[in-house]
Amino acid sequence: MGEQTSETEGYVGRSVRTIEGRGPVMGKATYTNDISFPGQLHAHILRSPHAAANIKSIDTSGAEKVAGVVRVVTGAEAAKYIDPIPHYIDPAVFGGRSATIRCLALDHVWCFGQPVAVVVAEDKRTARYAVSRITVDYEVTTPVIDVEDALKDGAPMVVPGWDANMIMEVPFGSGDVEQAFSSADRVIKTDVKVHRFSTQPIETRTYNGVYDAGTDSITLHGTVQNPHPLRNVLSKILRMPENKIRVHAPVIGGAFGMKMHGHPEEGMVCFLSKLIGQPVKWVEDREECLLIGAREQVHSVELAVTKDGMILGLRDHYLANTGAPSSCPGWGMAFLTGLTMPGPYSVQNVDVQLSAVVTNKPGWNASRGYGKEVTALALELSVDNAARELGIDPVDMRMKNFIKKDQFPYDSPTGLIYDSGDYAGVMQKAMDAIGYDEWKTKQEEALKEGRYIGIGVGFELTPEGGTLPGTLVGGYDSSTVRVAPDGSVRVLTGVTTPGSGNPTGIAQIVADELGVRLDTIEVVQGDTTSCPYGFGNSSGRSTIVGGGSAAKAAVEVREKIIKVAAALMEVDESSVTMKEGVIASGDKIIDLEEVCYACYTRAYDVGSVIEPPLEATAMFKPGLVRHTPNEKGQINPYPSYSNAAYVAISEVDVNTGVVKLLKFSVAHDCGKVINPILVEGQACGAIMFGIGAALAENITFDENGRQLTKSLMDYVMPRIGDVPSITLTHHDSPNPVNYKGLKGAGEAGVGGSAAAIVNSVNNALSPFGVMMTETPLTAPRVWSAIQAAKKAQPQRKVA
Amino acid sequence: MEDMLEDTVLVNLRVNGKLHELEIPAHKSLLDLLREDLNMTGTHMGCMTGHCGACTVSIDGRVAKSCITLAATLSRAKITTIEGLTEEDGTLSPIQQAFWDEAGFQCGYCAPGMLMCTAELLESNSDPSDSEIETALAGNLCRCTGYQSLKRAVKAAAVKAKEKAS
Amino acid sequence: MSLYPAFARPRDLGQAAEIMGSLSTGAMIIAGGQELMPSVNYGALMPEVYIDVGQIAALKGISEEAGAIQIGSFTVHRDVQNNDLIQSKLPLLSYAAAQIGGGMQVHNRGTIGGNIVAMHPLYDILPSLLALGAEVDVLSDVGEVRVALADLMKDARHGLGSESLLVRVHLKPMMPGAGWSYEKLKITAGGYGSANAAAIVTLDSSKITSLRVVVGAVSALPVDMSDTLSDCCGQAWSAHLAEEVEARSSAEIKEPLSDHQGDGEWRRAMAGVMARGAIEAAIKKAG
Ligand SMILES: Cc1cc2nc3c(=O)[nH]c(=O)nc-3n(C[C@H](O)[C@H](O)[C@H](O)COP(=O)(O)OP(=O)(O)OC[C@H]3O[C@@H](n4cnc5c(N)ncnc54)[C@H](O)[C@@H]3O)c2cc1C
Ligand code: FES
Ligand code: FES
Repeated sequence: MGEQTSETEGYVGRSVRTIEGRGPVMGKATYTNDISFPGQLHAHILRSPHAAANIKSIDTSGAEKVAGVVRVVTGAEAAKYIDPIPHYIDPAVFGGRSATIRCLALDHVWCFGQPVAVVVAEDKRTARYAVSRITVDYEVTTPVIDVEDALKDGAPMVVPGWDANMIMEVPFGSGDVEQAFSSADRVIKTDVKVHRFSTQPIETRTYNGVYDAGTDSITLHGTVQNPHPLRNVLSKILRMPENKIRVHAPVIGGAFGMKMHGHPEEGMVCFLSKLIGQPVKWVEDREECLLIGAREQVHSVELAVTKDGMILGLRDHYLANTGAPSSCPGWGMAFLTGLTMPGPYSVQNVDVQLSAVVTNKPGWNASRGYGKEVTALALELSVDNAARELGIDPVDMRMKNFIKKDQFPYDSPTGLIYDSGDYAGVMQKAMDAIGYDEWKTKQEEALKEGRYIGIGVGFELTPEGGTLPGTLVGGYDSSTVRVAPDGSVRVLTGVTTPGSGNPTGIAQIVADELGVRLDTIEVVQGDTTSCPYGFGNSSGRSTIVGGGSAAKAAVEVREKIIKVAAALMEVDESSVTMKEGVIASGDKIIDLEEVCYACYTRAYDVGSVIEPPLEATAMFKPGLVRHTPNEKGQINPYPSYSNAAYVAISEVDVNTGVVKLLKFSVAHDCGKVINPILVEGQACGAIMFGIGAALAENITFDENGRQLTKSLMDYVMPRIGDVPSITLTHHDSPNPVNYKGLKGAGEAGVGGSAAAIVNSVNNALSPFGVMMTETPLTAPRVWSAIQAAKKAQPQRKVA
Repeated sequence: MEDMLEDTVLVNLRVNGKLHELEIPAHKSLLDLLREDLNMTGTHMGCMTGHCGACTVSIDGRVAKSCITLAATLSRAKITTIEGLTEEDGTLSPIQQAFWDEAGFQCGYCAPGMLMCTAELLESNSDPSDSEIETALAGNLCRCTGYQSLKRAVKAAAVKAKEKAS
Repeated sequence: MSLYPAFARPRDLGQAAEIMGSLSTGAMIIAGGQELMPSVNYGALMPEVYIDVGQIAALKGISEEAGAIQIGSFTVHRDVQNNDLIQSKLPLLSYAAAQIGGGMQVHNRGTIGGNIVAMHPLYDILPSLLALGAEVDVLSDVGEVRVALADLMKDARHGLGSESLLVRVHLKPMMPGAGWSYEKLKITAGGYGSANAAAIVTLDSSKITSLRVVVGAVSALPVDMSDTLSDCCGQAWSAHLAEEVEARSSAEIKEPLSDHQGDGEWRRAMAGVMARGAIEAAIKKAG
């Protein structure tokens, strides 16, 4: 088992195994694709093979002739029945350009892989085959693939009718940047290029739309992180009221943002089911899943520094290649990258500007880190570069510039309010845990043998629990706690789980607050018909708001139980205790079930002291969020600021460029640990993402904008042999405004760990003078950098 | 000659101990057969190209990726799926218990591959080293755990299995 | 292309030859399916007929006859790895088979025949087989012929997979005392090989007396460097020779692959690094 903490009694703080874990080990958990209905039909989508083209005509007759095909639908036909997909985060709300997004393209395609037509057939193979029988007459136009090209004068427009390939330009920051730069000893510029990579859960997206003619209602069973907000979106697409729509998210096989909505297939299966009158299922191919991108950004970070390494000012005008417009919330990541600058550093003179550019690559969706991972990469690579230029230790430079622990709550120059933290303490813990100084010695010894070991650090500030005004990215959530007459407990909550274990965290909280045994609690999530309204899973929020709201509801129910228990025992309420299902007053003990039964059945005598049933719904809305702009027009969308430091030890084979990780350490501040084994899982999972990001995962295109990355042979994700042993330590500074001081633990780590790896490789190759700031550091790139460095400095003698 | 060609194929499969005689189309993968014809959905689809391992089952005592196994080629075979690891009375096997206790998974989607490969590993190796575990699980992707707890789970499973055997 | 393929299950080589001879194009032999099925699943391949060769006893088994080792084409990677005969007489091959990716699952079902016929540039078996001078028996409706694997690979019309069947591989045991090595370069644990090399070396008091080196995964087919490097024979391994081997092996790669594994320039360089590394490691083992 993971680390046990026994500072508190009760369940919170303990490594308990998940309450929902039995199903998966038995092969009995029900994922979306495991659900089928009588008359089940299957959809397969024809996707554009071109990055930009006009659709002149579509001939579906070949597909219609295939035996087993039920219906073929094109964009033109679909448009008769359904409306465009509302944006998860509409750029127009923030003054940006907003495109009309449809489930199926009408007369123009703006990216490779865009849905053009759909075949519904009796089985998936027939549907796939029939799709190959559709002929489309495309008039191919010139695509724009790179951000630089997209911004050139006369560039073709990705969205017909727009006057620029730009969602919006957003300035962040404040202070006297000019003054900071002119008074600096040096200005050190680092170009950081972050590539396109994706979350790729092992379960791909799957939707099954089921229309019920009798009630004229639709149920969508799907891999959905945010059922309630999606219901609203579906109501707009389908032109149906929300109370005729049910969204049900069964067990989810990993999400990481990918399963936040706005995808064309969600509305499509619902509409097809209604059109045909039978259930319609669509299961995403891995090739389709790989179309969904994220994170591709070009930064040019300038640090104004003193010669001893104090950062006086920061400038970074960056470009995000967000691909073609999409209704998914992905593009917003680019916004968060700027908003989170300058991360953990105490720099008040900041000039950061985002250009969120559209191109003819497929669009983005939310991805673990939600833009903050790119902030970490841009900052941490720049700090290392600056430290090298200044000839000072990269850790010293960070320590010097971290916001001090007595500066919280801290007003960031972009308008954020950091709740709490001890960044230097976190960094120190991560270094101590790995034996930073010993590794320095080992590194020197290895170099004598011609082996290149590198030590790199990275820090990530990860605001969690985000909420944006005027969107269904909500900051609060609600839960219902129900205790049945037999004393068993059911918690229904608006947050959902991507498989991270949050139902167990919530149950641990309820067990303690209510005073019952953990194994008597069931948690129900992911169903708009049974659960209270909520915003689902995103932004590391689920335990904060799900747990916070369930705790409040549990307290209300507990009060009722205690009242009736006191009446039954004929003692004073204040003398009654309730813990792990045992109700007592002095040496009198009463059975929980007896009390609960009485609450329901004796409403006219002992039970009259309460209002049955034993049920309460509560809402938790964290503080610190500020949606009303301050005098600079800035908002603070986050209630809490988790943070973590990473140390990576790597070894580079200078003959091949292959990087091997030897050891990893992370120190994490998630405010309060509810379940150590779950938090460890989140941290290790995020580091694995960071490893993939830094070294291998990459989505590439040819010069015509056709995606080259098509399978998991091309998109190489870390396997068990790639991940070194990871040491996790905690250094928690409780959030002053959240339930139990929670900060969230699910999102952090992709950027911080990737940055630590990149820094470790540069550190290993410092004898050559190599400094790579473009990800991923694949072996060919590392090798070329070494070759280039050798050529540039042939005189430099390397051990 | 034509009589050597069959339009559908008769297969006799013993799946988790139960015999199934099925007439199937030639193109069907074992994964689809299990999920669609036998309604056994414990075995998962993650890629259909052999890379993720979520579809792993054991065929005649050896693990295989069911998505890239043509069912028709298994005219007679004994198949064990993740569902078959649970003992008849419903108790969890040491491997299942260890994976659950040690958080050897999060979302559980990769569990079929991880558990089936662990089962095969432990059959011939009661005390696997880190590198032996890495070899045994090399064909499986997990996107949630970062593999650390998974390794721990395999080791715990080895201990539990030994305890049970003695 | 057919939505409704037929299935044939020949019981012996005679039936197999008969079926292959009678069917037009669109029939496809299937062994373990590890290569074929990904394309079938994505609809990129829709054979008219699957010819399942898994029931043919003649394709199975590993044996030694008249000083040569025969490996049936339907032998799975795992059996190549673990077979005593192969481990003792062809340790290079057994080791190379263990380096195949895809995990135990692929080792349990992928066959040596399927691996050869796939002739995939990134796969692991061909370099070792070529270094070992393998010959193969090929059956078609005109009968069974024995050819050198190297020659077969040059023949674009070999018809393997639909018109002809790979029956078995013949290999001469490695010379006692020969050193061998198979080096495989992977960017990460899950990656396919980006470059590899198989080497067999014999020494006479530290002088190289014979050298076989085949480099794979850097061009469309493995490249046999043995002739190019034959003048290493008679020399003792030295830093200078190592550098020369590296440079000459790289230069031998005329049309390097450029794909997700890496660009051509790097691949060409890696060809040299792998060749050098394989020879170096083989020399260490020789004696
Ligand atoms: C995830 C994954 C990773 C892999 N990684 C590697 C790797 O790292 N290295 C590596 O070498 N391989 C790798 N492979 C490929 C696989 O191991 C080999 O290709 C395997 O040997 C194929 O054998 P098979 O029997 O499954 O072939 P099949 O798929 O059955 O057949 C492959 C081809 O050969 C033909 N064929 C098969 N047998 C015969 C025969 N006897 N006569 C004539 N034609 C025949 C078929 O018609 C078909 O065209 C990987 C596969 C997967 C799924
Ligand atoms: S579904 Fe079979 S390996 Fe991925
Ligand atoms: S637990 Fe989610 S993929 Fe492994």
